Amino acid sequence: MEAEAARDWRIFDRPELRAAVASSDGRRQEVLVALDGIHCGACVARSGKLMSARGAQAEVNLATRTATLRFPSTVSLSTLLADLDAAGFAPRVLAHDDALDAQARERRRALARIGIAVICAMQVMMLAWPGYFGEVPDPGIARLLRWAQWIVATPGVLWAGWPFFANALRAVRSRTLNMDVPVALSLVIAYVASAARTLTGSGDLYFDAATMFVAVLLAGRHLEGATRAKAGERLRRLAGRRIMTARRIVQDITETIPLDQVRTGDLLEVPPGEELPADGRLLGGAELDESLLTGESRPVLRKKDDVALAGSLHLGRSPLLMRATAVGASTQLAQITRLLQGAEAGRPRVQQIADRLAGWFTGLVLLLAVAGAAFAARHGFDAALQVALAVLVASCPCALSLAVPAALAAVTSKLAANGVLVARPDRLLRLPEIDVVLFDKTGTLTLPDFRIDNVLPLGAMGAGRCLQIAAALEAGSAHPLARPFATVATPLKAHGIVATPGQGVQGVIEGRHYRLGRTWDETHGEATQAATTTIELSGPDGPLARIDLSVPVRADASQAVGDLRHRHIRTFMLTGDGRAAAEHVGKAVGIASVEFRQSPADKLERLHHLQSHGKVVLAAGDGINDAPFLAAADVSVAMPQGAALAQSKADLVLVGERLAGIGLAIDLARQARRRIRQNLAWALVYNLTILSSAMSGHLPPWLAALGMSVSSLLVVGNSLRLRVPAGTRNGGTAEGVA
Amino acid sequence: MASLYLLIPLGLLVVMGAIVLFFHASESGQFDQLDRQQQRMPDDQ
Repeated sequence: MEAEAARDWRIFDRPELRAAVASSDGRRQEVLVALDGIHCGACVARSGKLMSARGAQAEVNLATRTATLRFPSTVSLSTLLADLDAAGFAPRVLAHDDALDAQARERRRALARIGIAVICAMQVMMLAWPGYFGEVPDPGIARLLRWAQWIVATPGVLWAGWPFFANALRAVRSRTLNMDVPVALSLVIAYVASAARTLTGSGDLYFDAATMFVAVLLAGRHLEGATRAKAGERLRRLAGRRIMTARRIVQDITETIPLDQVRTGDLLEVPPGEELPADGRLLGGAELDESLLTGESRPVLRKKDDVALAGSLHLGRSPLLMRATAVGASTQLAQITRLLQGAEAGRPRVQQIADRLAGWFTGLVLLLAVAGAAFAARHGFDAALQVALAVLVASCPCALSLAVPAALAAVTSKLAANGVLVARPDRLLRLPEIDVVLFDKTGTLTLPDFRIDNVLPLGAMGAGRCLQIAAALEAGSAHPLARPFATVATPLKAHGIVATPGQGVQGVIEGRHYRLGRTWDETHGEATQAATTTIELSGPDGPLARIDLSVPVRADASQAVGDLRHRHIRTFMLTGDGRAAAEHVGKAVGIASVEFRQSPADKLERLHHLQSHGKVVLAAGDGINDAPFLAAADVSVAMPQGAALAQSKADLVLVGERLAGIGLAIDLARQARRRIRQNLAWALVYNLTILSSAMSGHLPPWLAALGMSVSSLLVVGNSLRLRVPAGTRNGGTAEGVA
Repeated sequence: MASLYLLIPLGLLVVMGAIVLFFHASESGQFDQLDRQQQRMPDDQ
């Protein structure tokens, strides 16, 4: 038993796998391991002892049940893992991801800055407190209090406020202005002036205002940033911490292989509690936790022959068997991750405009500060300093630049909890204006998978043989019509396969040329069932067989379409399928405007036609055929199936596979638009009001700092209200929102 | 009043201690996933 376990772990000594899991500084290697068998402090101590006996160091985190193993290159990882396994800690090696590590480090550092800024702000205020009531009578104590303020304010302003200085420097170097320029400038002026006055022992100090400014500003940004990070984080964390091996069964023997050696069609075994290594068809029922993919926190029951997705967690108590249908980069998880990464690379246009506006506004503020100070200078240097500080601090356009991103972040995060992944947050602003929704049929209004209902031989060849030929032609294709053939066992191999969208597929089998595609003549359509699509297999000597395929309508489709109608949104269905099948589905879901036999070009033309009449169009689709159609729409929604997800460049992905997500997204986007308008109105009114009193010299710097910070917090808070379920549909999923 | 000459520097030391402790706690990842335990509750049999 033990020997077998050790053999399993030896795989991690292979150089290619070792490189993938370990980060190394030359002498020591570092590997992140999940230890599911760790339950208490005693386990932590025991595992630590176990590792040091082998000359390795284990840093165990009980809360996350992970351990970082550090060991010299003379120690082999497999012995460490075998030891941990034998002791019952159930180790799983996690992939290391430098970007993820860097992100975590950055987040920790940001939190440390906020905490320290708050501690310093409170202490400085305590020390400044006696001074609020006039001169401190004892000059010795007064000097002591001033110096103490300087000491405490130094980490609070210079270290905690470093991000502002760094951003401002970057902006100045690239000859632009951002809102951190006046912030940094005011911090420097307040700090230097106060330090000088501590040395001379006369005049007001601004240490209290400066530290408070840093603390509240950091808190506001953290709230906004945390909301934004939350939506994408789940997936990114998952993608970064994938397991590195899979268990494959070949002729009743289970072997552990590196993840990248798993191939489509492999029979895989997943131990209880582990992640699925690939997308695959289940060989038996299973209970899965798909929360990392869909946001759905309840376990999902999947039946035999259902497709389960890589990254879901196997919750059952006995090993799960599955046959891989998509591996590596073609798993849905990898597709979604790539879609998100692609979208992140481009900066949203709204943000660019907001940044440019903030730049102009900042320039104006700087000019006003100089002008105000020059004007107040006739009352002496102190008055000029006060006006300059007040103007710089009070009118910093932070609230203005937070207004849009904070609201979008809140909506994105709430949608993610409800099974709608927002790949492009700026497109959310188009959603409230949507007045037409175009649905693709297959995979969108209906389930993606066709069933083979009937094979009708037209020639001498038998139905079974025809199916084998069809399966060989469709092998490896991601087209929805090809999927039911994946379950057909075929000894044949096709060469020179050419697939033409909307026209079918052709190829050469055993020297003979075959074609499989839609039948375009109407005559046979009368005889078939309304819910089916018929494709025809033809050989070199003419038609061989007609194959009837049908596909079930999604259970929530008609309700989702009805919801859209209540919102006064027109719905169309565009499909490449025949009239009968199209009208059947149209009737079932309640869409009157059904257009059938639409090629991708037809769909695109239809969409352009609507747009040229001033309509704002949302397109919902799936699959390779829909990619241009989705790209041209004002907002695009994609179902998560299909290898083409990453290329579809969809704005929203319904990872929860609930069409109601479209209505929810529109509702939330409308609310968000209202919040953004409120935020902008507030920020504008506030900035104009406070600017006038700051210019006139009636605003002490501490009040300016307070007003500016509270204004930012108000804007962020107003946006965060969007995450509270308030009379929205699907409002019952509060546990995912918290 | 004379006691302040001792108490204020002492207070400063305490503040510095708090700053160092908080920095260490944050950097070592103690605040990384505050909602983790609530999610894992049914796990501890």
